[in-house]
Amino acid sequence: MRFKLSVRPRSRRPLVAALGCVLTLLGTVSLHAEPSGEIKDPHYGDVLFQYFQDSYFSAATTLMVSQHFDRMSHHSEEAEVLRGGILLSYGLHREAGDIFARLIAMGATPSTRDRAWYFLAKIRYQRGYLAEAQEAMAQIGNALAPELKEDSTLLKANLQMARGDYSGAATTLAAVDNKAPSARYLRFNLGVALIKAGQTERGTAVLDELGRAPAEDEEYRGLRDRANLALGFAAMAGNEPKAARNYLERVRLKSLQANKALLGLGWAAAAMKEPNLALVPWMELTERDVQDSAVLEAHIAVPHAYAELGAYGQSAQGYELAVATFTRENSALNESIAAIHTGKLVEALVDSNPGDEMGWFWGVRELPDMPHASHLAHVLAQHEFQEALKNYRDLIFLTKNLLEWREKLSVFDDMLADRRKAFAERLPLVRARASEMGIAPLRQRHATATVMVAAGASAADGLAFADARQVDLLARVASVQAKLKDAPDSAETGAARERARLASGALTWQLAQDYPARVWQVRQQLQSINDELATAQRLEAALAQAQRDEPARFDSFDKRIAAISPVLDALMPRLAALTKTQQQAVQGIAIAELARQQERLGAYSTQARFALAQLYDRGTEHAVDRAASTQEADHAKQP
Amino acid sequence: MHTGQCLVRRCVSYRIRRNASNGRGRNGYPNESAVLDTRIQDIKSDVIKLNRDLLVLEEELLFPANTQVALFVSMDVGKMFELDSVQIKIDDKLVASYLYTPLEVQALHRGGVQRIYVGNLRAGTHQLVAFFTGGGPHARDYKRGATVKFEKDTQAKYAELRIKDSSPKLQPEFDIKFWQ
Repeated sequence: MRFKLSVRPRSRRPLVAALGCVLTLLGTVSLHAEPSGEIKDPHYGDVLFQYFQDSYFSAATTLMVSQHFDRMSHHSEEAEVLRGGILLSYGLHREAGDIFARLIAMGATPSTRDRAWYFLAKIRYQRGYLAEAQEAMAQIGNALAPELKEDSTLLKANLQMARGDYSGAATTLAAVDNKAPSARYLRFNLGVALIKAGQTERGTAVLDELGRAPAEDEEYRGLRDRANLALGFAAMAGNEPKAARNYLERVRLKSLQANKALLGLGWAAAAMKEPNLALVPWMELTERDVQDSAVLEAHIAVPHAYAELGAYGQSAQGYELAVATFTRENSALNESIAAIHTGKLVEALVDSNPGDEMGWFWGVRELPDMPHASHLAHVLAQHEFQEALKNYRDLIFLTKNLLEWREKLSVFDDMLADRRKAFAERLPLVRARASEMGIAPLRQRHATATVMVAAGASAADGLAFADARQVDLLARVASVQAKLKDAPDSAETGAARERARLASGALTWQLAQDYPARVWQVRQQLQSINDELATAQRLEAALAQAQRDEPARFDSFDKRIAAISPVLDALMPRLAALTKTQQQAVQGIAIAELARQQERLGAYSTQARFALAQLYDRGTEHAVDRAASTQEADHAKQP
Repeated sequence: MHTGQCLVRRCVSYRIRRNASNGRGRNGYPNESAVLDTRIQDIKSDVIKLNRDLLVLEEELLFPANTQVALFVSMDVGKMFELDSVQIKIDDKLVASYLYTPLEVQALHRGGVQRIYVGNLRAGTHQLVAFFTGGGPHARDYKRGATVKFEKDTQAKYAELRIKDSSPKLQPEFDIKFWQ
């Protein structure tokens, strides 16, 4: 560890972000919903699209809507697993548990069944039902998805550690491939488990490897710091202060673990009977934020070291300074507690850390503007506080969601009224147009024409299919022939009668020639008219159906809106009341944490005063001794 | 005063406690908190179910099945095309224009399918035209279109605009698939 005399104050952002990161790693529900094959229902793909963007609320509701419409039949099991996982991440343990139990009971495929058992085990573990969680773990077969195997191993090890079986946990974790994504976390757990199991040498070796490993990002650098810190304190516990110092010096000066490491470094030096060496890290610590218990301890450790060095004056000054610092900090804590009581803290935390959806990945990145905002960093590090704050924030999200729906429902109401009005206005027009068309008379005319065509076809002389010109010619020929019939016989009349006969014959021939094509054309046209009439009749029937159904449909929507509105309205006050209660709970956790900090301050303050009194006593005794010696010397000088 | 050994105990047990308490309502969680947690679970569940009912109502009201048309965008590998935006026209009318964020593109790569548009169409023949804009092979700007005529009947119609890598051609391919 490298020391600098002056250290810039740490930015609040990375501190809180890193805290959130650690908690996330510990408490995440890993769903691993990567599609295992081709997407066979686009709506399931849509759910995944939202899920992959961390929009879990939208993913869950979209999924449930598509399940309602039965649009994901090819992915029904996967969809249920995904829904269960998302609900689990929202803390809906009971419902998620029901989903997984149902999947198992209905004889899901082995891979789904194993996935369901895994999630059930995880739920039970999170709820504290260790034996039941163990039973569920035992049910997991060989079909567990590869991406879940690592998490499953971690869960198994966690269960073993929760039961105190550290040796078993070490064996479980040792089986994990070092190249796995979370291998470093698993190795950290393994190292701690081994030390807890009494296998200090093995555990130290694992943590030491982790503590020396190169780390490419802040997350892994943080983990490396934690490994070195754990090693350092394990060495201290084993009365190896020199080794402890070596490990603790590897911890970065600006890391989250730096304060604990500096304190430990000082104690290791003290254990080596080198108080002057202990002073260096402890002095550095006293420059830091007094929120940290390590910093508080350093404030009394420094004068302790001075006393060890025999610098009693500096030691007394140090204790007095510590008491003054503790008193100041106590007043600041009182102010923070008062500020939290007003309710502004929780609101400000949520306001300064917005997010689109509710969900477990939400975390505090910015501290609100408060007189002693740094007090919150310590509070935020508490898992209980984080979970309670997330619940509070979820309730706020749900309130906003319901307010949006309330507005939409009123728009739906207006929309329905408009549609009803438009339908009522348009209906008479459509009816009038339909009656103008007169489909029934048209059908009658079509039937008559069909009969006529059949008769013409039966006559097969083509007369029935003559076109207008031919009809005109036939009429003129007939007229000419009638006139010639009554005309007196003569050579001219005879010739004219012959020409008329020829014209009539030519026409009859032409009609006979055209007959097959024309009868086909007319029959085609009749068929086409017939089809159009059928379509018109269908439309008329649809119109009649719409006249009956549409008002019923409008009524149905009206009823649904009317039924759903009170449900929404009933949820709003419930949500408001719960939000308030949860806000108080969050505040309660924060205040309790700050009160604990005050207790620590009180204890340190008492110790400082006690040490100070001892110093004064020692000083007084020393003065008395000196006075006595002087007196004795004076007496000796007297004759 | 704390001794170094006290801190040792605190730190070594730190990870273990964390591991054992990564759920809510676990050992030592006060009863009052557990009750509150249950009430919060209940209300979250109720609101999620209500959202489902409201979304179903909204869809049935705004996009009845007999006129509904939904368009989806998917991408299989996406190595040969970096998607920037999609524009969609139905019967020469612009119905969707979408600019993608890196997170959305990543979600498509992972197998997500985006429902880019949902609307209503009368029964009959319609034309669908989609334009894809982005970066093609060799980091060149790339704009391609896909067009198709389709028949809309009285069932909901789903079309998927697919972006695929064609290894033999070393080019991206764009096509439209219909689902019923």
